[in-house]
Amino acid sequence: MEPEAKVKIKKEKFEILKKADDLFVCSRCGTCLAYCPIYKQTLDESLTPRGKMSLLEAISKGKLEYTDRISEKFYTCTSCNLCKEECPSGVKIDEMIETAKSDLIDVNKYPEVIDILKDRIKKAYNITFDSNIGRLDWVKALPEGDPRKYVKEKADVVYFVGCVSSFSPRSFGIPRSIVQELDSAKVDYTLLGEDEWCCGFPLLNSGIKDAASDMAKHNIEAVKSKKAKLLVLSCPSCYHTWKHEYPKYYDGEINFEILHISEYLLRLVKEKKIRLKPLSGKITYHDPCDLGRNSGVYEQPRDVIKSIPGIEYVDLEANRELSNCCGGGGNLESVNQALASKIALSKADEIIKTGADIVVTSCQQCNRTIDAAMKKKKKESNVKVKVIDLPELVLQSINSGKENS
Amino acid sequence: MDKKYIPELEKIVGPENVITSFEERLTYSYDSTRLEYLPDVAVKVRDAQQISSIIKLANDYNIPVTPRGAATGLSGGCLAVKGGISLVMVEMNKVLDINPIDLLITVEAGIVTEKVSKAVEHLKLFYPPDPGSMKSSTIGGNIAENAGGLRGLKYGVTKDYINSIEVVLPTGEIVNMGSNTVKAVTGYNLVDLMCGSEGTLGIITKATLGLLPVPADKVSILAFFKDMTDAAKTVRDIVAEGVITATLEIVDKVTINAIEDFLKIGLDRTVGAMLLIEVDGQKGAVEIEADIVMKVCSANNALLVRRAKNDKERDELWAARRAALSSLSRIKPSTILEDATVQRSKMVELINAVNEIAKKYNMLIGTFGHAGDGNLHPTILTDLRIPEEAEKTEKVIEEIFNATIALGGTLSGEHGIGITKARYLKLELSKPVYDLMKKIKNSFDPDNILNPGKMECNWDF
Ligand SMILES: Cc1cc2nc3c(=O)[nH]c(=O)nc-3n(C[C@H](O)[C@H](O)[C@H](O)COP(=O)(O)OP(=O)(O)OC[C@H]3O[C@@H](n4cnc5c(N)ncnc54)[C@H](O)[C@@H]3O)c2cc1C
Ligand code: SF4
Ligand code: SF4
Repeated sequence: MEPEAKVKIKKEKFEILKKADDLFVCSRCGTCLAYCPIYKQTLDESLTPRGKMSLLEAISKGKLEYTDRISEKFYTCTSCNLCKEECPSGVKIDEMIETAKSDLIDVNKYPEVIDILKDRIKKAYNITFDSNIGRLDWVKALPEGDPRKYVKEKADVVYFVGCVSSFSPRSFGIPRSIVQELDSAKVDYTLLGEDEWCCGFPLLNSGIKDAASDMAKHNIEAVKSKKAKLLVLSCPSCYHTWKHEYPKYYDGEINFEILHISEYLLRLVKEKKIRLKPLSGKITYHDPCDLGRNSGVYEQPRDVIKSIPGIEYVDLEANRELSNCCGGGGNLESVNQALASKIALSKADEIIKTGADIVVTSCQQCNRTIDAAMKKKKKESNVKVKVIDLPELVLQSINSGKENS
Repeated sequence: MDKKYIPELEKIVGPENVITSFEERLTYSYDSTRLEYLPDVAVKVRDAQQISSIIKLANDYNIPVTPRGAATGLSGGCLAVKGGISLVMVEMNKVLDINPIDLLITVEAGIVTEKVSKAVEHLKLFYPPDPGSMKSSTIGGNIAENAGGLRGLKYGVTKDYINSIEVVLPTGEIVNMGSNTVKAVTGYNLVDLMCGSEGTLGIITKATLGLLPVPADKVSILAFFKDMTDAAKTVRDIVAEGVITATLEIVDKVTINAIEDFLKIGLDRTVGAMLLIEVDGQKGAVEIEADIVMKVCSANNALLVRRAKNDKERDELWAARRAALSSLSRIKPSTILEDATVQRSKMVELINAVNEIAKKYNMLIGTFGHAGDGNLHPTILTDLRIPEEAEKTEKVIEEIFNATIALGGTLSGEHGIGITKARYLKLELSKPVYDLMKKIKNSFDPDNILNPGKMECNWDF
């Protein structure tokens, strides 16, 4: 045996040591190799779910310590969870990776960007360098451009915009579409403005578990103070965090319904509060990992699209539970930009194969990643597929014909 | 450990393709047997020339070289049991040529099996061998193990589709074997020798594979039985009636329940056995054959027999069958899968023998397999972390092998000997045959550098 293999470590130290039984379940069958987007691009066994499980098993047996190299492996992951979905042995891969990251945080072996992120969120309650006052800057270009009009004391519905859509100009189209839709449906809604804090997902996903409870408490109470019955979110990761993580970190009752905008738009369409007018073109839909696989919302966005008269809908070959990640998940971009963009290009190929003119996403992150990949494709081969977010499509449909008539 | 050869490896393939860190080597230390042997170095290769240079280096320094495909092997073939170089083939994954007129495709050996059929889908052609692992396994691994699949009864196994191969010999020469003609008898049939050689005689770098037209029609049939005996009799009778089905898979109760736990597709958990059958061919012929199959099932007391309702259900059923092995691993932490194969006519006896053994040792065994080929996969469900269980498992394996050989069967139908079955070779081979195998190995690989320690046993022990 190799000398390295004899390294003995202080056993109690790591959370992963408690997961030895779960790790033993991995039969090394290799099924996950066929699905992991990272492996498909790198063909690097050490980055596969199988490889990751074997490394953790070695750690749990005291054969190996957490090293920088191991840290690199665990942060090279889009958190798409396709591996978990397809693992026939039922290995809780997501939980194992999460545990590993949390251990890595404890031993101070994690990518530098996480410190920057942590710092920003702690100082300004958002993931950017801006102060949280800027949360409503995107409102200014609207006809009713006064931010104060969008923040009420009380409202039936709260729309939680999310950091990226609040601060990144290229995503402003999403919240701008949503408020116009809510207005046109005469919904009594409010934004949280400065009182909206980062949901905590970027930290949770990086393995910083304790950070979430403050965020959860603050945000839940902010919504409660509006006496809202319903919370709507447009970012799938915020949605996932609110729906599936917050209950773990909040003792009190969450006494309002939580919906993703795709679910809420469908409801408004069904209640005839939104009237969809004809559009044309062939449309396909990309399931964001955090909305689809990780939260189980598959049909509502499709149903909204299909409710638009005049369009032709086509699914991607790998869809719903089997949808491939766009590469933008899990903060991979900040760890390995080149790899994330390779994954995005392969997603773009899938989309092009459907022959659609438009690909709809329900996530500002997927939207950005896929759009960048499509632009590259356009340069290379002159194929053109328009990338838009569901609320933007819906707004187009609501306004359809207006300019012409 | 003297690793002077590492810089030379780096010169051959580039430093980024030479994997030396302990962490990363660990991930090249296992396969689906779940055994672990740490290679001294893992090397990702891109062409035959690089491999040839590595082999020459290995001969100079006397370093073992073990080819590695996707490491889905079930007999430990790609494990570097003597250390040395793990030769990682997965980057050699290109389709080199498609020849629809002669029904041939030429690929690099590291290509994923399923990708071969995908590459010719648009031409309405397919590559028949379809091991359960085809979404991950490589063609090189398939050839080296002579992998079978679900369609073996009608379409045969990997060796039936290998026209020619490019091989790097253990002495470094790059050679071609076989011919892309329909017939060829020039010289010894070395392609067949390489096929199933488990990476001990040469490294396959390219292969020209045969294709077939996708059958015009197919029907999937599902039948439930009260026990495995009725199901096995049905298998025998279907073939005796002159119907060669494309697939004829058997699944027992333990496995049905494991699959249902995983996939939740509504299989009846109470039945004792299930047959999954597919007939394919020309349109009218398929209907006639499907009728015969259904009649034979009924005549053998099937509790229920019906066709798959639609394509979706059909796909679900086959996905279910493919998930059999991995689903079983949900029941117990260790799954030891055997590969015992007998003539179809002896299958009932083998099933009974396995049941007896399971009872005798009070061991849970889930059995499924390619019933049409007489190839069963009795899978021992255990926990090898517990010493008594591990010991009992050994005994169970040995008794299953004894029973198989007594019925005129073979140790392995498709998963190979590798290291896990090596010590049972004596049960099946005679001494002169074993010696002949060693002589063949020696004439290919005089320095014994290629995959040493495989298909090898201590005969006198
Ligand atoms: C869930 C599951 C289902 C399976 N179902 C089946 C089945 O239905 N039928 C079946 O036959 N098997 C099956 N297997 C076993 C396994 O998938 C096959 O043996 C497969 O052929 C191995 O391919 P691989 O690329 O993973 O090879 P590896 O496991 O990497 O290697 C297998 C052997 O091939 C050698 N090798 C690999 N590449 C080369 C090369 N280019 N040149 C020379 N030697 C090489 C290795 O040294 C080793 O000896 C299954 C395995 C699993 C985990
Ligand atoms: S699919 Fe699951 S059991 Fe199989 S190797 Fe991957 S993690 Fe392990
Ligand atoms: S979550 Fe996605 S990227 Fe991460 S290991 Fe699993 S399949 Fe690969």
